[in-house]
Amino acid sequence: MKNTFRGGVHPEEKKKLSRDVPLRLFDPKGEMVFPLSQHIGKPAKAIVKKGDPVLVGQLIAEADGFVSANIHSSCSGTVKAVEMRRVLTGQMADCIVIDNDGQFTGKENWAARDDGGTLSNNDILQRIQDAGIVGLGGAGFPTHVKLKPKDPDAIRWVIANGAECEPYLTCNDQLMRSKGPEIVEALELVLRLFPNAEGVICIENNKPEAIKEMKKAVGDRARMKVKSMITKYPQGGERSLIEAIAGANYPASQLPADVGCIVCNVGTLYAIQRAVLYREPLFSQVFTLTGEAVSQPGNYIVRDGTSFAELVEAAGGLKNGTNAMVGGGLKTDAKAVKALVGGPMMGVAIGSLDVPIQKQNNGLTVLDFDPVEEAEGLMTSCLHCGRCSTVCPMGLTPQLMAEAAELNNLERYEKKLYGLECIQCGSCSFCCPAKRPLTQTFKKAKGEIMAKRQREGGNK
Amino acid sequence: MDAGMMNLSSAPHVRDKWTTPFIMRVVFLSLMPATIVGCVVYGWHAAAIVAVSIVAAVLSEWLFNKIAHKPSTIWDGSAVVTGLLLALSLSPSLPLYIPIIGSVFAIVVAKCCFGGLGKNFINPALAGRCFLLISFGRIMNTFAVDGISSATPTANLAAGKAVNLTSMFLGTSNAVIGSSILALLVGGLVLWSMDIIHGQICFSVLGGFTLFIALFGGQGFDPTYLAAQLCGGGVVMGAFFMATDYVTSPVSRLGQFIYGCTIGVLGGLFRLYGSAADSFSYSVIIGNLLTPLIDTYIVEKPFAYRKNALRGLDPDSRKPRYKRIPKPVIALTVIAAIAGVALSGVYSMTKDTIEAQKEAAKLESYKVVAARADSFRAIEKAEEMISGSHENGVYGSGFGRVKINAVYEAVDEAGNPIGTVMSITSSDGFDGDVTIALGLDADGKVTGIAFTELHETPGMGMRADEESFKGQFGGQDSVLTLVKGEAKNDGEIAAITGASITSTAVTNAVSAGIHFYQNVIKGAN
Repeated sequence: MKNTFRGGVHPEEKKKLSRDVPLRLFDPKGEMVFPLSQHIGKPAKAIVKKGDPVLVGQLIAEADGFVSANIHSSCSGTVKAVEMRRVLTGQMADCIVIDNDGQFTGKENWAARDDGGTLSNNDILQRIQDAGIVGLGGAGFPTHVKLKPKDPDAIRWVIANGAECEPYLTCNDQLMRSKGPEIVEALELVLRLFPNAEGVICIENNKPEAIKEMKKAVGDRARMKVKSMITKYPQGGERSLIEAIAGANYPASQLPADVGCIVCNVGTLYAIQRAVLYREPLFSQVFTLTGEAVSQPGNYIVRDGTSFAELVEAAGGLKNGTNAMVGGGLKTDAKAVKALVGGPMMGVAIGSLDVPIQKQNNGLTVLDFDPVEEAEGLMTSCLHCGRCSTVCPMGLTPQLMAEAAELNNLERYEKKLYGLECIQCGSCSFCCPAKRPLTQTFKKAKGEIMAKRQREGGNK
Repeated sequence: MDAGMMNLSSAPHVRDKWTTPFIMRVVFLSLMPATIVGCVVYGWHAAAIVAVSIVAAVLSEWLFNKIAHKPSTIWDGSAVVTGLLLALSLSPSLPLYIPIIGSVFAIVVAKCCFGGLGKNFINPALAGRCFLLISFGRIMNTFAVDGISSATPTANLAAGKAVNLTSMFLGTSNAVIGSSILALLVGGLVLWSMDIIHGQICFSVLGGFTLFIALFGGQGFDPTYLAAQLCGGGVVMGAFFMATDYVTSPVSRLGQFIYGCTIGVLGGLFRLYGSAADSFSYSVIIGNLLTPLIDTYIVEKPFAYRKNALRGLDPDSRKPRYKRIPKPVIALTVIAAIAGVALSGVYSMTKDTIEAQKEAAKLESYKVVAARADSFRAIEKAEEMISGSHENGVYGSGFGRVKINAVYEAVDEAGNPIGTVMSITSSDGFDGDVTIALGLDADGKVTGIAFTELHETPGMGMRADEESFKGQFGGQDSVLTLVKGEAKNDGEIAAITGASITSTAVTNAVSAGIHFYQNVIKGAN
């Protein structure tokens, strides 16, 4: 197999801004906000109420159902409210608000290491579930659900996703450089659940230091290898990795396990190591604060619930277009015009930084330019050039999908063009010379089809 | 802190550098080789047609948008490309109002009326050309270069006449402005290697056409015939620049293949059995018309639904695959090969001229060295005598690298032999070959020498051509000795001061000629 997938694009990496800045724990001072829905599936149920004292690592909301995840406090203090707050989607959502006492008194200190060898598979899964671990790559799928496929023996590859293909982001690079042995330990634990599987640590070849560290950590373990992948977006997409490693493509209706694969982000694996061997719940994760408009780009370990604004301010704030005399000349500083949770390809733009960091967030990119605004000025009709079909990692035909969606021909969109297979990676919009907002169109079309299905389902 | 409300947008938030104007610019530049060749070969009038056509196209789009109260779209560059493509597909001798009418029709009727860029259903440039062909058939089929009109190579080919393949390839034949196949191929391959045009289309057009002509053209796979058919009538222009137009070609690879083959086969059909020599335009337009149908029914399935979706799960199929050769490498190789073919074409075209000039110079020299001769007659068995007396292309020994090229008998008006002339080359010159013509009278005495090839150092070796040096050879009849300073005895030649290498070469050549006369020619008699 070639170490890559079909299609894909090469956005500017921009990783230099922060790639060599080591991870640093950030302790916030302000109030902490924990949305009850930080994962795919049902929102968690709050089990604390206003006035309750809480400690770091204390369970504050518990999973409601199988596909759901626990939420733990990342600070010590008192519960201020359980109320609606604005979250990063721009909407209001149920949140637990905690008045942070700034002491970060832990429920325990999670220093005592259990002997992993004595743990049963069920113990491993239970500890992962208790810790409230979700996929930290961005999707936030509850990890204990992912690790319980129907037939564990049929799993042939456990893929540790260290690709980090999203431009700007570098926190996983730093994590792999500094926590290689921990990630390998976690991968070993996961491999115990899947006796026939081989562990493959996939890292894009623009991270030579991480590849070196991970290779050192893997050593001569038999069931594990490090694979250097071609740097290409979306290499770190689940389906792209599976195509590259397993040589298999599967429809949207199936899961990686259906083709014998389990994909875990390296950040998730690190959390698994902490949870299984130290019983430490998930309340912090690696995070990159970057972008041209950030004064001091860097990599952090952030506590969930921290406000983006507080982190940004502590890191020197944003550039705001001020004029300054530099070396006898007037220099105008960059001005923050767009803030993205995540990277520029799949990140979510937020209007205000005053929203909390959630478990699956791995970066904030603040740009001093707005490429989308620039692109809108250059938009022409679709040329039918076919670049979108060439780059689509799913092998779709975006130009025809867009045509069908714009004509509201959702029947053709879904049945003939397989529009629901779109993973919204953004490659088509990125490469479109006519600057058509393809991905956006597909998101809308998918929403409409889903709404229609729900309506029709409801009428039965 | 509050940075205020920041901009919102849907992911992805970054965009590639490629824009519509960029693509149009690249296509425009890729047409430049053909345009330049056309303008150079056909002169100012061709350049005027190109300019007028482009200006008319841009202006009519601007005006249409103005009148229709639409935002101006001329900045996207597509009108420029349309105007240029149209001009390149026109005869260089047309009156200037023809490209104006064509451009206006192409832009206004074929493009803007259907909604502008991306909405037209046929290639605007081709629509303009076909409109002109139908409306101005007689003028359109006038191909005159320098005021002399004659049939195009394609018309000659249809009439079963011989065509000059090399001039068709280079674009010097009597055809449209953009008829240089070499230039079009260079541009087309650049576009293909940049992934701007789809190989499935251009190569299936060429393939379909070639196959059809080979099967039904009556000359089988005769490469010269096939090449002549491919080089004429806009097939290459159609395959690389017309059929590949994004808007009017299918999206899926299979669809593109079907579309390309259809155009190729129709082009072949019209070429062999149709009446119009410009029929290739029509076949591309028919392909354009089929595109919506193809796109409706032929859609590529996503990877997950294709036959080999689970190929990796079968251990047998997990074999290493061959690396694909990158397109730019292929394109460069092909361009290099084409350039090589073109250069050899130029050589073969000019080779005869060079040879003829050399021959004329030789005859002239023979006249000089045998002034009384009326004509020159071949000597019996001259070839055998020459080849029999040379070893490894060198005559005798002691003369250096000397070669007898030819030997003739000089005859007077009455036809009586009066002497012998020879062409002799010494390869020992200071700068390559020195070739002389040597004349001998009936007694074997030198009547004179002349240089047919001499490129020695001016002022030194070149002085060999002065009478003071070459005059010394007159009357000599034995192998000569070169001396420095003054020649005192018979059989001695005074070397040119400072050019002993040239002197030696010339003297050796003359000596060899005398030796050849005495020992070979006389010996044979």
